[in-house]
Amino acid sequence: MQQINTQIRVGAIFESGRAIRPVWFDWQRQKYTVTEITYRWQELSGDTKILHFSVSDGKDLFELTFDTDRQSWSLTGIEPGQ
Amino acid sequence: MSVRTILHIDMNAFFAAVEQQSDPALRDKPVAVIGSGARTIITTCSYEARAFGVKTGMTVYEAKRLCPTLIMVVGNNRKYTDTSTGIINIFRDYTPLVEVFSIDEAFLDVSGCLKIFGSAIRISMLIKACIYQKYGLTCSVGIAPNKLLAKLASDMQKPDGLTIIAPDKISETLEELPIEELCGIGSKTQQKLNMLGITTCGQLGRFPVKTLKKRFGIIGERLQRMGLGLDDTPVIPTTGDETVKTVGHSTTLPSDIDNRDEICRWLLRLAEMVGCRARRYNVAGRTVTLTIRYSDFTTFSSQESCDDSLSQSHEIYRAAVAILDRLKLEQPVRLLGVKLSNLRERDSQYHLFPEVRKYEQLTEAVDTVNDRFGSFSVTYGSSLDRQKNAKVISPAWRPEGLRNIDVE
Repeated sequence: MQQINTQIRVGAIFESGRAIRPVWFDWQRQKYTVTEITYRWQELSGDTKILHFSVSDGKDLFELTFDTDRQSWSLTGIEPGQ
Repeated sequence: MSVRTILHIDMNAFFAAVEQQSDPALRDKPVAVIGSGARTIITTCSYEARAFGVKTGMTVYEAKRLCPTLIMVVGNNRKYTDTSTGIINIFRDYTPLVEVFSIDEAFLDVSGCLKIFGSAIRISMLIKACIYQKYGLTCSVGIAPNKLLAKLASDMQKPDGLTIIAPDKISETLEELPIEELCGIGSKTQQKLNMLGITTCGQLGRFPVKTLKKRFGIIGERLQRMGLGLDDTPVIPTTGDETVKTVGHSTTLPSDIDNRDEICRWLLRLAEMVGCRARRYNVAGRTVTLTIRYSDFTTFSSQESCDDSLSQSHEIYRAAVAILDRLKLEQPVRLLGVKLSNLRERDSQYHLFPEVRKYEQLTEAVDTVNDRFGSFSVTYGSSLDRQKNAKVISPAWRPEGLRNIDVE
C-alpha cells in the first residue's frame, strides 16, 4: 500500500450506536464515493483512539483513519486496483 | 466428575484472512503475510498459498519459488490484535470461561451454559456466524469433553470446520491416530516414543505406564493419559490479572551487527520497552536476562541477579550491558532480547537520596507523556535513530493485562 498520510475532508454518517460510516472523501480536488467498507479496526495511540477504515470506491482501496481526539480524518494509504 | 463440554476455536489462516478481507483484490489468491524488515520470513499464508506448499517460517525466496504468483503483504499487528480482541469478546458473550491460547485460538468451557443456548453445536454455529458477519472471517471449531480432544477436533477440518468428538467415540478416534497429531507431543517426544515402538495414540494409551515414567519421568503418566484421550486440565479464563513471571522483549535486527555501541543502542530500546511495561503493571524484577542469537542462529542466554528489584529502564539497561561485557561475542549478532524475571510488586517506599527520587519523578513524567501520546513519544536521544523493525506478535500476547503487549 502506498503511504499518503494527509488530512482530508470526509463525509461520514454517525450511525445509531457507536458506528461511524465514511461515505465520501475529497483528495487532490477529486471526490471519491465509498462503495464498500471492506474492514474496520481501531488502535490506541497513547490514550487516543484511532479508527481505521479500509474502503473502496469500486476501483481502488483506501485506508482512512479518524482521530477521535482531534476529530480529524486522514488518508493514510492507497492501493491502486488491478 | 461430570462430563464437560469444551470448544476449541481456531481462526483459519488468521492474519492472511484479515488481509484478504481488508483488500478484496487479495481474495481467493495466494497471499503470504510477511514482516516489514529486509530479512523477513513468511508469518502465515492463505489456504490458496498453502496449496502450493508455502508454509509459515519459509523465507520469501523459498515461498516465491514454490508459488511464483504469491502476493506478499506486510503484516499489521495492531489490526490483528484488535480483531482478535473483538473475536474474544464474541466468545465471552456465550461463556465467561474463555482461555485465550494464542492470538488466533481459544478454549471455551460451555458446560454451564448449554441449557441457555441449547447445545454446543448451536453455540458453535452462532459464534461462527457472528465472526463471519462482523469480520468476514471463518474459523474451525472442535467440540469434545476436554481441551486435548477439542484442539484435536478443530484441527481435523480446516477451513471453516465443525468437528465433534463425542465421549463414546474417543477410543475409536484415537486408535489409529498418529501421536504427533496430539497437542503437546512435539518432534523430540515423538522420536522418543517412536523408538519405543509407539506411533499411534492407541499404542500410547495401552503402553505400560511404568516404562513411560522410566523413559520420560514425571510426564510419562501424562503421555499415557493423552493416548487414552484423557485430560482434566481446566479452562482457565484469561482475565489479565494472572500472575506473570517474566517481562521481556526481543527483536531481530535489520542486519547482523558486532559493534558494541550499536548493540548497546538496541539494548537501550529493549530495556525501555521492558521497563515501561513493568512499571505500567507495577512490577519490578531482580533478574535480568540477555538473549543473543548469532548469525548462524546459535542462541544463548545469560542472566544476572541484582540485590534490588529493578523497574527503571536505565537500571535494566545497565544490567543487560554488564552481562554483554562479560561475554566474548564469537559472531555478529542477529537477535537481541532482554527479560526481567524474579518479579514482585513494586514497592512505593520513599527513597532517601534526592537524586533517586528525582529520577523516579522523571521516569513517572516520561511514562505519563508516553501513556498519553504513545510509546516512545519521549525517549532516550541515543535510541532515536533505531529503525522500527518488523515485529512478531509474541505467543504470550493476551487481550488484557501485563501480556497485552503494545505491538508495532
